[in-house]
Amino acid sequence: MESLVLALFVCLVLALITKYLSIPAIPFYILAGVLLGKAGGGMLTTNEISHFFSEMGLIFLLFFMGLGLKPERIASNRAAVLTSGIIDLNVNMIIGFAAAYLLGFSLTESLIIASAFYISSTAMALTSLIENRKLMLRESDTVIWLMVFEDLVLIIILAIISAGNQNLVFFLIKILAVLGVLYALAHYGKEFLISILDRDDELPILFTFAAVLITASFSLYLGVPETMMVIALGVAFATTDPDAFEQHARPFKDVFLVVFFVFFGVTVDFSGGANWFVIGAISILAVASKLISGLLTGIFIHGSALSGLEIWANTIARGEFSIALAVIYGSPVVGTTIAAMVIMTSIVGSFTAKYSGLLRRGIVSRSRHKALMRRPH
Amino acid sequence: MALRSLNLPGVGTKYEFETDKGDTVAIFFTKTGSIQMYTLQKNCNTPSAAEMSPVEARRLGNILTGAIIEADQESVEIAFSALADLRITIHTFFVTAAVVGKTIEDLQIRARTGATVIAVCRHDRNIINPPPTFVFEKGDAALVIGESDHIKKFEREIMVN
Repeated sequence: MESLVLALFVCLVLALITKYLSIPAIPFYILAGVLLGKAGGGMLTTNEISHFFSEMGLIFLLFFMGLGLKPERIASNRAAVLTSGIIDLNVNMIIGFAAAYLLGFSLTESLIIASAFYISSTAMALTSLIENRKLMLRESDTVIWLMVFEDLVLIIILAIISAGNQNLVFFLIKILAVLGVLYALAHYGKEFLISILDRDDELPILFTFAAVLITASFSLYLGVPETMMVIALGVAFATTDPDAFEQHARPFKDVFLVVFFVFFGVTVDFSGGANWFVIGAISILAVASKLISGLLTGIFIHGSALSGLEIWANTIARGEFSIALAVIYGSPVVGTTIAAMVIMTSIVGSFTAKYSGLLRRGIVSRSRHKALMRRPH
Repeated sequence: MALRSLNLPGVGTKYEFETDKGDTVAIFFTKTGSIQMYTLQKNCNTPSAAEMSPVEARRLGNILTGAIIEADQESVEIAFSALADLRITIHTFFVTAAVVGKTIEDLQIRARTGATVIAVCRHDRNIINPPPTFVFEKGDAALVIGESDHIKKFEREIMVN
């Protein structure tokens, strides 16, 4: 219990400081975990309670992601989503995988690292667009849809990882069956669900929490992992009143996810034989490969390399989903590498996102490129 | 002036339109609850932005519709362009000594001014559609609806005398 209280207290202080300075909090939560955990004298240790909180954090993160996925929205924007999404997926997956494999990771480990390397942090990208007042830039739309595409790919990656030794086809059929059942429940019970969500007593929050936990617990009987179950629940609930569900699930997500980040930091062990060369190489490549995919996207979609630079500046930060992948896979070496990458890229990313305007202006005044006379939208 | 609205996943709703003179205005209602307004001048490539709370945004909206905003009294003008440009004004007044202790019937508000009292705020409670027998008390704030001439008449004839 003391560990948890200490963790919460440290997070509260960090949250106050980072919000005041308007920089992303995620890298600092992880760093706090690292410094207070194994690497820093073991003030924080994982136990059953912290384990439970962390699991809740992961579950609510994925439930939230499911709520945000609205298939019909993606279908209406197919062309733009696909082009940028496929460039981003190919460039970063290939570079990430090649780098990890050449640096001596096994095939499966390389796949995990490549996935974590590919997935930018949706939370940090969107917050930075809002806080740095970039929503009107045409590149912002591209970044927002890129995040949606990445979320979709993440679901596929999670399905593949968690299938384990099961027959993949059978496994996918099971997932689709679960999704179908949840969809049907949400569809036929829509009025009931909305009547619950409209109440202003404890029922909406209690219902949301219970629905997520009960769905997650069914994974034991169905052989479908919790992660898939809660994403499916989110996608199904998104057809009713997603804003209400987001509002009621947010308090759980906010608290549990912070604990999840700290205790992920605790399991990271930089002192125990971490290869600094490997960690450094992956982190630097993580920044560089998003530059390549960003420039290509900028040239293909907006016809301007400078737009690519803007896309790059806002998508460097890796975060919550990279860590989720590390936790689900659970190897300490992979976890340490991913932790370092997340910390590095999110700190670099917060600066590039804030100062991308200066960067663009600097380049413009030097080269006076014609493309710059064109205004966004 | 074509208004576009767009739902941005994870961010909120975007409204954008281009003025006849070629400037662009975009408004974003973000999920965090704040409202961001961007303006982009014609032939310029960096927009300028302002972030507002919902209350501030409503105030800005009132100013833009042409309503008069005073320090403590507020009015909203609603224009229905489809109904021969019908303009309805809603104005708040803090009751003056002239009306305290009188009923709406005594004052003959509608007959004399054309305006109607549609709500009264008393001690942080709202009384919607007060009956003709409603008696004004000190400290009440009345919400009056009508065309702007009616409102002016109400202010001159009812609140002052």
